[in-house]
Amino acid sequence: MSTTRKRVYGYLAEFKSASALYKGAEKIRDAGFRKWDCYSPYPIHGLDGAMGMKRSILPWFVFFGGMTGTATAFALAYTTQVVIYPTVVQSKPVNIFTVPAFFPIMFELTILFSGFTVLFGLLGLIQLPRLNHPLFASDQFRKATDDGFFIAIEARDPKFTPNGTRDLLAEIGGANIELVEEED
Amino acid sequence: MAHHHVTSADIAINGDHLDSSKVSKVKRMALIVAVLGSVASIYLLFFASEKLRGPFAYSWLFAFYYFLTLSIGGVFWTLLHNVSNSSWGTSVRRTFENLGSTFPWVFLFGLPLLFPQVQVYLYEWMNIHRAAPGEVKEYLHHHEHLLSNKHWFMNLPFWYGRFAFYGIGLSAVIYGLRKLSTAQDTDPNPGTARLLTARYHSNYPLIIFALTITFTGFDFLMGLDYKWFSTMWGVYLFAGTALNSMAVIVLVCTWLKSMGHLKHVTTSEHFHIMGKLMFAFTTFWAYIAFSQFFLIWYANITEETSYFSIRNTGNWNIAMYFLVFGHFVVPFVVLLQAWLKKNPKMLSIVAVYTLCMHALDHYLITIPERGVSLGHIKPEVFGDIQVAIPGAFWGDILAFVTIGAAFLFILIRALGQHSLYPNRDPRILESANVSN
Repeated sequence: MSTTRKRVYGYLAEFKSASALYKGAEKIRDAGFRKWDCYSPYPIHGLDGAMGMKRSILPWFVFFGGMTGTATAFALAYTTQVVIYPTVVQSKPVNIFTVPAFFPIMFELTILFSGFTVLFGLLGLIQLPRLNHPLFASDQFRKATDDGFFIAIEARDPKFTPNGTRDLLAEIGGANIELVEEED
Repeated sequence: MAHHHVTSADIAINGDHLDSSKVSKVKRMALIVAVLGSVASIYLLFFASEKLRGPFAYSWLFAFYYFLTLSIGGVFWTLLHNVSNSSWGTSVRRTFENLGSTFPWVFLFGLPLLFPQVQVYLYEWMNIHRAAPGEVKEYLHHHEHLLSNKHWFMNLPFWYGRFAFYGIGLSAVIYGLRKLSTAQDTDPNPGTARLLTARYHSNYPLIIFALTITFTGFDFLMGLDYKWFSTMWGVYLFAGTALNSMAVIVLVCTWLKSMGHLKHVTTSEHFHIMGKLMFAFTTFWAYIAFSQFFLIWYANITEETSYFSIRNTGNWNIAMYFLVFGHFVVPFVVLLQAWLKKNPKMLSIVAVYTLCMHALDHYLITIPERGVSLGHIKPEVFGDIQVAIPGAFWGDILAFVTIGAAFLFILIRALGQHSLYPNRDPRILESANVSN
């Protein structure tokens, strides 16, 4: 299919170990790249620091998600138990001071809403689920789930240059450097 | 955040020892305050007029139990470190052990509780037992049936036996574990044998620990009102213990680091972990405190609700509300920040704060009972039952400062006895390079 148009995704380079990947990541961070990522079969402690990752905004989503849960539960319990249909048990008062009775449900909904916000917020931020990823075009990239350590620098990074980026990857110890192209 | 990778070249081969000249001034001051305070306290506990002796017995119990929880917590963290086979804590383990090693000494401050002259104001059930003519159980069966049912547990010989068990049990545990740990510092061939021994001899002591924290709470605090009971009492005290002993550990580590000790081995990662443990136990305390309140509030049984009735009378009510926000809401929100937990100075501020809240917590556990019990036990001396005894507050401060100064002295003394971290532990490098 010679008519298929291709677009450059970026350079992919393999590193021989987790520590080589870690040191390579520090150099790319210091070179000022933004649109790039590391791929490893297992989590590497401290790699986020080596990549210069900023703190995620997710905790704020979760905080407000959790607060929404607390407020929902309080409104639900208060409205039904105090306003609409007061339930008198052991002649305890039915008013705002009945709030200890609402604490369990307020706690539970806080956890539930927080959990949902974590899950769906995270999926949104990392853009999952998705059907394909440009790096799947590379054959050697399959090793990333087994024994390969990779760094990919995307072409849309402002610092990306066809030769300069390849040389940088070679210089910091990257092997099997490959220009990955995605079908348009 | 790139760390310098710590290697064996960074470890002090002969240990990291506290410079005694730097701390001698604080130590001497603490000793002087403790001795003077103890003399005054002995007078107030045994020789002063009844009007002073009664309220001061409660002051002493409050201060004693406060510092006892901190010591017991030191033993707890040592045991937990060993049984969980943890590697992160190796560089701060000696601080756990040093804090735990204050237990036998702090326990000595509980000895006044052995004397009937002090017990008479605190434990009404003992008065009833002592005043019973003839066979005690038989008398209780007819006159005080509740105490008759509780007689198998609440009787004087068993109480004294338990007292001995509390003192000897954890003292033996922490003495043995600390000796095992410090002997490694000078061993020319340190191996893993001691780690395995420590792990083995930390599992059953966790049971001794659990019995001690639970039943000292039952005997010394819950026994103030023999009619009252709460099945969550032990775990409630444990929650405050674990939280605040970790606060003391954070303070000690920060202090040692500010003097240039624990260099390379204790990093912001360790403070982060300790901060997370403080956060966890802040939440756990709230969970347990609320559960206790909730069960009592819902069941609405007179014997149980008395605890909260007393503490919601008069100004105690304000203090109880303050406890909810001060002991839970504020530290919860503050400790959520990750950067704060990684900063030893900021975390120390929170640690000082939680220790203040712990004092309030224990003040509210022990002291509101004073006006009620004294008015009930000896109305001819103390008058009617009242919400609080006027002027007794100064006794609380005296007792707290006395035992606090002694605690400080014992802790600094313990810190100076051995290397400040286990320098020949096989896992010290793993701990020094921990990342979380």
